[in-house]
Amino acid sequence: MTGRVAEGRPLERLLWGAGGTVVVSYALIPVFWIVSLSLKRSADIGDGHFFPRRVSLEHYAAVFGDHRFSAALLNSVGIAALSTLAAVLLGMFAAYAIVRLQFPGRRLVLAAALSIAMFPPISIIGPLFNLWRTIGLYDTWAGLILPYMTFTLPLAIWTLAAFFRELPWDLDRAARIDGATPLQAFVHVIVPLAAPAVFTAGILVFIFAWNDFLFASALTSTGNARTVPAAIAFFTGSSRFEQPTGSIAAASVVVTLPIILVVLLFQRRIVAGLTAGAVKE
Amino acid sequence: MAAIELTNVSKRFAGSSAVRQVSLSIRDGEFFVLVGPSGCGKTTLLNMIAGLEDVSEGEIRVDGERVNDIDPRERNMAMVFQSYALYPHMTVRENMAFPLKLAGLRRDEIDRRVTAAAGILELEALLERRPRALSGGQRQRVAMGRAVVREPRAFLLDEPLSNLDARLRVQMRTAIARLQRRLGTTTVYVTHDQTEAMTLGDRIALLHEGEVLQIGTPRELYEQPASLIVAGFIGSPAMNFLPGRCTAGRLELPVGPLAAAGVADGSPVIAGFRPEHLHLVRGEDGQGDGPVFAARVEVIEWLGADLFVYFDVALRDFEAANLPAEPGVVPGTDARRSLVARIDPGASLKEGDAIRLRLDPAHVQLFDPHRGACLAPGGAEH
Repeated sequence: MTGRVAEGRPLERLLWGAGGTVVVSYALIPVFWIVSLSLKRSADIGDGHFFPRRVSLEHYAAVFGDHRFSAALLNSVGIAALSTLAAVLLGMFAAYAIVRLQFPGRRLVLAAALSIAMFPPISIIGPLFNLWRTIGLYDTWAGLILPYMTFTLPLAIWTLAAFFRELPWDLDRAARIDGATPLQAFVHVIVPLAAPAVFTAGILVFIFAWNDFLFASALTSTGNARTVPAAIAFFTGSSRFEQPTGSIAAASVVVTLPIILVVLLFQRRIVAGLTAGAVKE
Repeated sequence: MAAIELTNVSKRFAGSSAVRQVSLSIRDGEFFVLVGPSGCGKTTLLNMIAGLEDVSEGEIRVDGERVNDIDPRERNMAMVFQSYALYPHMTVRENMAFPLKLAGLRRDEIDRRVTAAAGILELEALLERRPRALSGGQRQRVAMGRAVVREPRAFLLDEPLSNLDARLRVQMRTAIARLQRRLGTTTVYVTHDQTEAMTLGDRIALLHEGEVLQIGTPRELYEQPASLIVAGFIGSPAMNFLPGRCTAGRLELPVGPLAAAGVADGSPVIAGFRPEHLHLVRGEDGQGDGPVFAARVEVIEWLGADLFVYFDVALRDFEAANLPAEPGVVPGTDARRSLVARIDPGASLKEGDAIRLRLDPAHVQLFDPHRGACLAPGGAEH
C-alpha cells in the first residue's frame, strides 16, 4: 500500500504538472500574443515572431491620443460601475428577501431570474433597438445600463442568495431581539458579513458589463455611450491599406488590465470568510 | 423585571401544531425552566415569548400587557441563543454595546454598562477581541453579557450550555444560577437536559409533543410525577417501571406482592419506583416491609458517592405492553426488564454477584398503563 503511494507520487505530480501547463498555456498564450502585438512597431506586426524584436509604445500613444478612445474608456468605466452598483444593491435586497421571508412564489422568483439570465441576448437586440429609438434611450448610458441589469441582476441575486443562505439565521434574530428594526438588522449585521459575497457578485457583474460587445455595438452610435469593446471595432488604420492591428491590441490590453488588477486585488477578500466564529464550529 | 402569563397559546406550522394550548404563568423574578425532549415545542414557545414567532392562537401577557402583536424590539427581552449568535464582525465590546446603541443610549452610559457587565462576567480582558478568537466558554459568557447589559425585563435562554463540554457546562450552570439570583431578573430557560432543569429551575414545565404535561418545582416533578412520561423523563438514572396487577388491596409485581390501596381490583397497572428506593438486603435480617427478591448484578456504575447496580427481572406472566421503552433495548425481549438500584457505595459488589434487594413500598407509584396518568402517588401518600 505504502509502496504504491510512493511509486505513484512522482507520476502523479508529473501528470498534474503537465495538465496544469496545458491549461495555463491555453489560457495565457493569446493574452501574451495580444500584449506582444501591442508592443511591436507597426512595421513588425506581420513579422511572425512571438516576441517583439524592438519594443515600442507607439500604439499606446496612438490609442490614448485618440479622443474617441478616452471617451469610450470613460463610458466603459461609468456604465460598468453604475450597473454593478445598481445590480448589487438591488440584488442584495432581493436575495435577502428570498432567503429570509416566507412568501408564495419565492422559488418562482429565483427560477424566473435564472431563466432571464439564460435568455439569448441577440434575440432582444432588434426590438430593443426600435424601442430605445422611440423612447430616446438610444445611445445613452441608461440605454446600456438597463439591458445590462437584466443579465447582471439575476447573477447578483443568485450569488448573494447562496451566501445569505449560509449566514446563520440566529444572527438576524439576535439583532431583532437586541432592538433592531429589520432594516437595521440588515444594515448593521447582514451587510457587513456579506462583504465577501458582495465583492464576488460585484466583480462578476462588473466583468459582464465591462466585456459586453453586443449591446454596446447595437445600441450606441456615437461617443456619447459607446464603450471600449464597441469602440475598438470602429478603429481605423492610418491609411486605408493598413489594418489597425497594433491599436486594437493596445486597446485590448488597456481594457483587460483593470479586470486582472481588480481580481488579483480582491481575490483574498472574495475567498476570505468573515463568518468564522459566529456560531459553534 | 416582569411576570409572563401564557393563556392557551398554540402554534401551527403548515398544518401541524408545534405547541398546543399551553397555559402557564411565570412569576416576577422567577427562574422558570421549559424542559422536554427535542421537538417538544419548547424553543418555539420561547420564540413566541421573544416575539420571533407569531402566536397562532392564545395570548401572551407581560406584566398584564398583551404582547402578541408587539415587535420583538419593543418587548425589551434579552435572549441567549444555543449558537450564541455573536456578531462575528464586532469585538466583544461592540457586541455588548450593540443593543444599547440601538436603544439610543449616551456613550458614557453605554461604556458604564458594558464595563459593569464585563466585570460581572469576567470579560474585561477580552473586550477588544472578536468572537472567532474566543473559546466556547468565553463566547457563552459574551452572549450572557450582551443579555445582561440590556437590563431587560426578562432573560430568555435557549439551550445556552449545550455546546459546552461537560465540565464547563457544570461551571456555567452554577454561574448562570448565581447571576440570576443576583440580578433577580425573570428568566425563562429552555433545555432538554433534566439535570439542568432540576438544578436551575425554581419551577419547571415539562413539555411533550407541544403540550405541557406538568408544571411544578423540581421536587414536585421528581416525587409526584403526574404521568408516566414525566416520571420517565425526570431523574437520572431513570425511574424503574414494572407491570403489575391489583387484587384484593394488594399489588402483585414480578418482584413480589405488596400492600396498596385506592386502586380498583383486577386492573393492570404500571408500578414506578426510583433507583434509591431499592435497598440491598444483607444476611437474613429482612427488616422493614416490602418484597425482597433475588437478582444477579449485570453492570455496576461506581461514581464515588453513588453506586448504581443494573440487573434484570423476569416479568413472568405479567402483561408487559405499554411499558415505557427502555433506551437501547431492542423490543422483543419482553420476558425480562432491566432495573437499576442506587445503593450504598461502600458495598463491595462485582458484576455477576447474586444480591437480594428490598423494594420500599412507601415510594411505589402506580400509573394507568393506557393513559399513562398517575393513579396513586407513592411519595404523597406517606
